[in-house]
Amino acid sequence: MTRRFIVEPRGVADSWVKLAVPVASVVAALVLGAIFLAITGNSVIEVYAKMLKTAFGSWRGFSETLVSATPLILTGLAAAVAFKMLVWNIGGEGQLLIGAVLASGVAIMMGDNVPAVAAVVLVISAGAVGGALWAGIAAAPRVYLGTNEIITTLMLNFIAINLMNYLVFGSFSPWRDPDATQFPQGRPISDRARLPEFGELIPGLKSFLHRLDLGFVIAVVVAILIWVVLFRTPWGFGYRVAGDSAGAARYAGVKVSRTFFATFLMSGAAAGLAGGIMVAGVLGKMDPRSLELGLGFTGIIVAALARLNPVVVIPVAILLGALINSGPALQSIGVPSSTAVMLQGAILIFAVAGEFLIRNRIRRPDAVPTEVSEAEGATA
Amino acid sequence: MNESAEIGLLVLAIAAGTPVVYAAVGEILAERAGVLNLGVQGMMLVGAVAGFWAVFTVESLWLGVLLSLIVGAAAAAIHAFNSITLRVNQIVSGLALTIFGTGLSTFIGRAGETQLAGEPAPKSFEPLLTGGLADIPLIGPLVFGHDILVYLSWLLVAATSYYIFRTKPGLALRAVGEDPPSAESAGIDVAKVRYIHVLVGGALAGLGGAYISLALVPSWTDEPIGQAGWIAIALVILASWRPWRALFAAYLFGAAGQLNFYLQTQGVDIPSNLLAMLPFVLAILAMLVLASGERARKLGAPAALAIPYSREQR
Amino acid sequence: MRGINKSFYGVKANDDVDFDLGVGEVHALLGENGAGKSTMCSVLAGLYRPDSGEILLDGEPVAFGSPKDALAAGVGMVYQHFRLVMNFTVAENLALGHPDVPTRLSEKDLVAKAHELGDRYDFPVDPNAYVWQLSVGQQQRVEILKLLYREARVLILDEPTAVLTPQEGEALFRTMRLMAEDGRSLIFVSHKLNEVKAVSDRVTVFRDGRVVGSADTVDATPKDLARMMVGRDLDLPKRSGSADRGAVVLSVRDLAVNDDRGLEGLRGVSIDIRQGEVVGIAGVAGNGQRELTHAIAGLRAPTAGTVELGGKDVTSRTVAHRIDAGLAYVPQSRLGVGLASGLTAEENLALKGYRKPPYAKGRLLDQDVFKSRGDKLIDDFDVRGVRPGLPVRLLSGGNLQKVLFAREVSQDHIVLMARSPTRGLDVGATEQVRNQILAERDAGIGVLLVSEDLDELLSLSDRILVFYEGKVVGEFSAEEATPEEIGLLMAGHTEEGAA
Repeated sequence: MTRRFIVEPRGVADSWVKLAVPVASVVAALVLGAIFLAITGNSVIEVYAKMLKTAFGSWRGFSETLVSATPLILTGLAAAVAFKMLVWNIGGEGQLLIGAVLASGVAIMMGDNVPAVAAVVLVISAGAVGGALWAGIAAAPRVYLGTNEIITTLMLNFIAINLMNYLVFGSFSPWRDPDATQFPQGRPISDRARLPEFGELIPGLKSFLHRLDLGFVIAVVVAILIWVVLFRTPWGFGYRVAGDSAGAARYAGVKVSRTFFATFLMSGAAAGLAGGIMVAGVLGKMDPRSLELGLGFTGIIVAALARLNPVVVIPVAILLGALINSGPALQSIGVPSSTAVMLQGAILIFAVAGEFLIRNRIRRPDAVPTEVSEAEGATA
Repeated sequence: MNESAEIGLLVLAIAAGTPVVYAAVGEILAERAGVLNLGVQGMMLVGAVAGFWAVFTVESLWLGVLLSLIVGAAAAAIHAFNSITLRVNQIVSGLALTIFGTGLSTFIGRAGETQLAGEPAPKSFEPLLTGGLADIPLIGPLVFGHDILVYLSWLLVAATSYYIFRTKPGLALRAVGEDPPSAESAGIDVAKVRYIHVLVGGALAGLGGAYISLALVPSWTDEPIGQAGWIAIALVILASWRPWRALFAAYLFGAAGQLNFYLQTQGVDIPSNLLAMLPFVLAILAMLVLASGERARKLGAPAALAIPYSREQR
Repeated sequence: MRGINKSFYGVKANDDVDFDLGVGEVHALLGENGAGKSTMCSVLAGLYRPDSGEILLDGEPVAFGSPKDALAAGVGMVYQHFRLVMNFTVAENLALGHPDVPTRLSEKDLVAKAHELGDRYDFPVDPNAYVWQLSVGQQQRVEILKLLYREARVLILDEPTAVLTPQEGEALFRTMRLMAEDGRSLIFVSHKLNEVKAVSDRVTVFRDGRVVGSADTVDATPKDLARMMVGRDLDLPKRSGSADRGAVVLSVRDLAVNDDRGLEGLRGVSIDIRQGEVVGIAGVAGNGQRELTHAIAGLRAPTAGTVELGGKDVTSRTVAHRIDAGLAYVPQSRLGVGLASGLTAEENLALKGYRKPPYAKGRLLDQDVFKSRGDKLIDDFDVRGVRPGLPVRLLSGGNLQKVLFAREVSQDHIVLMARSPTRGLDVGATEQVRNQILAERDAGIGVLLVSEDLDELLSLSDRILVFYEGKVVGEFSAEEATPEEIGLLMAGHTEEGAA
């Protein structure tokens, strides 16, 4: 049997391949989107120009893009940190929401009784703790019983969604605003527990960064911190060994289960922090309609596009943030905002498929391979 | 027509459960072949919009059904290619499909010359029989009061169950999900079996979506299926990968969805948000109690689920 | 089979092999690991295609593209790793992929067929039992039944007794005789001379990919066979001199360890190793060597006994503690255990030491040390093919072993434990590893060398212990050890002739 093509694993993917594949998936997704736009009789150029202009065309638009990117950096980190260790935590969505529940709960409980800086720290920490706890519900059975975490984390997302809706729409819990008589909504938290906006700290920035708050800086710092922990500390070295090969990690004296558990909780904490930052930042309350945007799932796209690198998560999250930010603006030109969601999905589909090209090379059978392939390297 | 509120509740429960039955049976087939497809929600949505579009433009219910099957299978083909041929991460690929399907269905509902969103379906599936048998107290509405897609779902469940457990291709299907190398050495084409079942699974999810837009709530709104796709995934585990159990579990949750209206009439108020958690809480409990580690396999969890298979990398 | 040649990546696994199998014959294949038995069997079973040569079945040339083709022609193989679906019943496994089973499965027919075959060959299994409920011996019966159900006339059993208890082995031999009397032909791969004597009609011995001899079993004495197996024709130089022995650095007392199946893999073994001494462990794979090394390394908890390193009891201490106490360990699996396959050579060189200075500097890792120490070791040990960012899995076997050795011997250590350190290496790399081990000995390190290569053990060890079924069945000093004696003990052949 002669084959037209031979697929073989790559050794080191050249950096141009690593860059080209995500870029190509974005381009391919835009082309696919263009096809659907054209079929439905919309002007492709007008739509894409509008999106670009909304996301990056003005200071206001750009600052909103960063606002959208902030939670995505954190949910992207949640997925990246977990997936690299082969922890299949797809519960970022639920962990974010429970983070928001706990953060707003702490803020409401404190009222105006705690000084400003301490209040903010407490509230966003509560978010991280909430996310870690929610992840722990799946992590503990995974480590002690071997329960598949893919399904448990997935299910916990929907429990969290319904729980949050119950707290605001289904009951008269402390989270519900007692003053909202018309339509139920979350109870606003004290101003002392709010993250300051850049414009409040440095008045001159107000006209550039508008409502962007310190949450963005926190997210970026967390991303860099995680990078340092994973790539520059002994713990992170053990983590990378365990993620690559559990057998080698055990042999080298790494406590694999413990590392796995810690990674799982860290992942949950990052997602929960996103919820806490949204509550303490732009939202100022636990608002289900503004939280249920699929940010946890989008974080998985971010992580996949960033190829699980914590620092690369930042620019990718900004790109996806731009997409989310530009969606609603399309309605003004008569195009549904869901165009942005469709593009997100398409980017992810192409990025996932593209991973194959990063891992493997395809060549014609008559071409001589330039380096030893994996199978040969292992047995020769 | 109904004798009592209880019977009405059960009839509604069956209707509400039917889309989930189709989707869950489809997912059972895919997972039995060892492919986890988290794109169910997305496949249901594109099936729902395709079916509705067909009925809206051509006014043919059966064309709508056909189109939903095709579109569901086409969506599943993306996942099949990614996970079987390219052997990339099934979790991420499935989620990608869901996100894409969610965006695409809403987009189609609003982007065209004629907006589908907010429109009722010009035709819908109605109960097959009226009067006569359907008027028999108790049994009448429960057994004879449904539309044809409900009866087809019963047929599907019976046929699938027989297929999986009592036929030779069903045996091959289970072997592929359990132990691909052994199946391969027994002369079975693992990739082919996986492709077929993922595609059929997608078609069924598409039909499940169309049932919502053409029978349950014959109209188009943005994301009309709620969390039905995710419930289907939860049910597959609760039903331990068995079609009949999935059918009854789907009706149970169909009932739970309707229950609070009924309970309110009885003076009991259980918030709908808490009832909506039920399938997911039960699925987790089922996993903790029954499906952890070794026990999962004995229960029916396909051992090779979500693991790519490559002939060369044995 | 005529003139079978098969090479893997330039290494000849089968070199012009001729082999005849008579109808109704049980034909044993003897040989050390890597001698070419399994390769020939896999060619016959359709798993590999020969590079050249032909297979004649009943005088007709046949070409098998896959195991499916071979099976259709009546040739089937029972692999060491069973190809059974664990979560299926016995009957379901029999039906899977069988061409004559109807689309509608009839449980009754399947069960009846299984009973019929089981009765005919004195081979009872419950057709309704799930495979995971069965013992390994019973699972093996299912594998054989599968072949019988498909009407195989030639059955290849690849080391079938390796996983069996002696009683199960006896039962298998009875069945093998019954099948032979029924006109089926069997190929029986084994390391164990007494088994070969007990069950086979003819025996063929393999060495280095060639057939070195064939005889009727009744005419062959165990001594002859052992000599043919190990082949004394190429004389390796004996190791030169010996180092000064010092204090005991590794002491294992009455150690018992369970294997992966929860059975006793190691059954009460005691070993002392002194400074400057190489102790070799001989034995066919699967006789407790793996359990011994894992228990010493801390990867597996013993059920009884103690392990002492440098005079301190470490039986219940962690892996990391043992590394710090001076245990260097070169495991059999280079990739996936000894080395993290996706990490670079530099990173792998730090795998054991990264928690401590100089790698760790405060809370952070010093990247410069990774680079400088990595470069130095790569240079000192002449590791070739390393590029920045290249995962080690793309290095050749010899270079992988250099990386492993470089790391293990460059850290502070008092004991070096190595399992099959030269397996799969070319001549040059093998030489380097062996010299490395002798250099360790001369430097006063206690070396525990586990190997299936008798030549290697004989040329490196000061003492050799022979493992059989989890126990030490013989001990030789370097001077008195002969391959024949060791070979007999490895094959479970004792003076009394009972195993």
